Amino acid sequence: MSEAREAIIIGAGHNGLVAAGLLARKEIRPLVLEARDHIGGMLGDQSFRVSPMPFSLRPEFLRALDIDLPAVPMATLVASPSGKTIRVSGNRVEGCDTADAEAYEQLARRLARQAEALSGMLLRPPPSLDGNSFRELLSLARTGLKLRGLGKTGLRDLLRIALSNVHDLIDDEIGDGPLGALLAMDATLGGAMGPRSPGTVLPLLYRMTANAGQRMMPAGGPTALVKALASKVETAGGEVRTNAPVKRILVEDDRVAGVCLESGEIIRAPLVLSTAAPGTTLLEMLGPEYLDAEFVRRCRKMASAGMVARLDFELSAAPALADGTQLTASDRLVIAENAAAVEAAFNAAKYRGLPERPVMEACYDAGRGLLSVSAQFIPCNPEGGWTKVLRLKLEKAVKGEIARIIPDFSKLVLSTVLMTPQDIETAYRVPGGHWHHGEFRIDQLLMLRPFDGASNYRMPVEGLYLCGAGAHPGGDISGAPGFNGARAALAGRRR
Amino acid sequence: MAKGQKMSPHPQVPMGLEAGPFHQQLDALNGQHGWMNWMGFASPTVLDNMEFEYFAIRNQSTLFDISPMCKYLIEGADAEKVVNRLVTRDIRKLKTGRVAYVIWCDEDGNVIDDGTVFRLADNSIRLCCQEPQLAWLEDVAWGFDVAIRDVSREIAALALQGPTSAALLRTLAVGEVEHLKPFDFAPVRIGRKKVELSRTGFTGDLGYELWMKPEDAGTVWDALLQAGNQYGLRVIGYQALEMARIEAGFLLPKTDFLSSRTALRPDRTSTPFELGLEGMVAFDKPHFNGRRALLRLAGSPPRRKLVQIEVDKDKPAVNALVYHRQKKEVGMVTSALWSPTCKRNIAYAWLDAPYCEPGSEDLWVEIYLQKEIRWQRRMERCRIVTKRFFSHERRAATPPAGF
Repeated sequence: MSEAREAIIIGAGHNGLVAAGLLARKEIRPLVLEARDHIGGMLGDQSFRVSPMPFSLRPEFLRALDIDLPAVPMATLVASPSGKTIRVSGNRVEGCDTADAEAYEQLARRLARQAEALSGMLLRPPPSLDGNSFRELLSLARTGLKLRGLGKTGLRDLLRIALSNVHDLIDDEIGDGPLGALLAMDATLGGAMGPRSPGTVLPLLYRMTANAGQRMMPAGGPTALVKALASKVETAGGEVRTNAPVKRILVEDDRVAGVCLESGEIIRAPLVLSTAAPGTTLLEMLGPEYLDAEFVRRCRKMASAGMVARLDFELSAAPALADGTQLTASDRLVIAENAAAVEAAFNAAKYRGLPERPVMEACYDAGRGLLSVSAQFIPCNPEGGWTKVLRLKLEKAVKGEIARIIPDFSKLVLSTVLMTPQDIETAYRVPGGHWHHGEFRIDQLLMLRPFDGASNYRMPVEGLYLCGAGAHPGGDISGAPGFNGARAALAGRRR
Repeated sequence: MAKGQKMSPHPQVPMGLEAGPFHQQLDALNGQHGWMNWMGFASPTVLDNMEFEYFAIRNQSTLFDISPMCKYLIEGADAEKVVNRLVTRDIRKLKTGRVAYVIWCDEDGNVIDDGTVFRLADNSIRLCCQEPQLAWLEDVAWGFDVAIRDVSREIAALALQGPTSAALLRTLAVGEVEHLKPFDFAPVRIGRKKVELSRTGFTGDLGYELWMKPEDAGTVWDALLQAGNQYGLRVIGYQALEMARIEAGFLLPKTDFLSSRTALRPDRTSTPFELGLEGMVAFDKPHFNGRRALLRLAGSPPRRKLVQIEVDKDKPAVNALVYHRQKKEVGMVTSALWSPTCKRNIAYAWLDAPYCEPGSEDLWVEIYLQKEIRWQRRMERCRIVTKRFFSHERRAATPPAGF
């Protein structure tokens, strides 16, 4: 048995580090336990990053933790059918027809305004379904006021599109094409819904809440971000341990008592915050014996099938697009012809097949000569399983698609590393290998995230909190679940 | 049909219902042809006369087919854990060969159903209840090492109830009768067939329940009826049993309370505290379904309670409303009866707090009576009764008295 701690945080991903930083600032010195050999979670593996682009980090959290990390705006590149590169930075479009550019810019501005109105809701715990406290009502009222600020037409428009599908929005407002592909990708990336699936506008708005739709990359990339977060934890008296996988969360008298590591080591603590996926935390580490049957059912029925495969290509030289545009470190490349192509890729995955033409986003790390690709709509458990043949088939399909955009690509590739959704599932203990630990669906958002009855970070066993991507607002690299979860834990201690 | 050939008696089954393992026998005796739907099976409401059948429960012995009850077998290393997680009582103390009355709750602490658990062995438990529970059991058992099987159709069952029931079994050489205490069960042989005999029942009287294979049903039935000749054995229908169960103080789902799984309106559910079953909630055992909600509920007085009331005069307060000072509506009656054995006018009623506490004064029930097509309204005084209406020492005496 090791020395007792004031708090334990399971997982040293960015949410775990944000939560640890916040607790440490309130003089609760946490011990952060990381199962893998590196900190930073999906951001942190230097040799292979599952999430290479922490573009949606909320500046509010960096401020709250006193981290001074400038952010660089990122541009998104997408190829037009003529081979010309279209560049989108923030809401500005260059390289295409003026009418198309104007239509896109107008829509992007409109969505950004609506996202901004919703944004406050994501920084606070979600409203509850039964019995709101005064504070909750106040925060709901504030969001209500912001929504009123959109004006009658704006609000009506938000209500009209929020639950509709992004394909219809694209068809109605800008017409399908390369810019449509961009919106379709942003609306569906990481999840298991195609652009025609209902409710895909909401994830798009969600993604746009940070920095008003402008994607920002912290200076120094993921490495700098993880380092800054970890050093905040350590200077404030916290400790981060890697290679320390948690086996069980210990319970005594219906209260959390600490954790037991895979090694058998027992560490006692009255407070445990878990950034592991809800299913992993509640059903594996805690165990159903401490939970009611309905709660367990809702937890295991969460939709969390991941559909992103990650591939890293080591290149011998910097890649150039068909029209000669060089890909730089602050660019994101989207490879999809249009929204219809994104939907077509989804169709195959829906029935556990590989899409013939996967759609993807990619970024290039010039320092290491690495092209990191997130290929979308690759099923977690394809028909027949992940055989060597299937892995090669996927690699070939991805390479083929990239070669359409980067003509010299096949000559540049030195080596390839592939991580299927199933590999991500095993490596990061995320059911389904889902980036966001749970689908961004209307029935799994806000007070229903991760599921009904578990939305306020406090779990039924006293002293246990969920603060990973599975918790509200969830997903991407925002830091919001870690921040909100830590605040809920602090509030719980005061009570 | 060839001349001279007798028409073979063909048991009648009401439309849409299924014939149970005793249907042929019941149909032959069912002079009233009164059938009701019990879990899809044809179950007799009354065979010849409800009063005769009722008095047989209290003075002779009676046979009632309880085969339609839902029965589940829970087996495996975690069987005890799963059942203990399901029900509010601590069944770790339940020894092999013992039965326990149990209730189970949802996550909000509202009662789902009640039933009995039979401890067959360390790793084997049978649950008997009124409503289908397989889906719920599988939810509760998720993540545990057990197998759950619906054995409803693999077991035929009879309730043999009444003061002469033990004597009847003695003539069949069922020696176990001498030492079976209430809530005990043991394997016996009747008509050379294996039968599981439990000293349980729904009448509050001396009585047994017999559990057997459906293929043995006919043989066991015949043996019982033959032996029953000299003990006034009567086959009865549901209506007579209903009278006895009200006297005995047993609750009936869908009448006295609504399962939280079927209630649509949130205030139609009820907690163990509201049903007066707080003694069945064991907070000192490991986590069970609804425990945290029940702990919160235990901290404050219930919003209303199901209580026993006794009403003045002799008119049963069926479907009556209950008033305070004849003015303020404070509750309603769920089951009511003029008890022929207790010679009292009894009922169950839901009463709002604070009128649901014993000793509440000035409570009245509003009874509607029809006399030659004209309705009359009567206000009668009622008071809360805490003691069971019908309770007789022969129920629990071991060895049971003979006649």
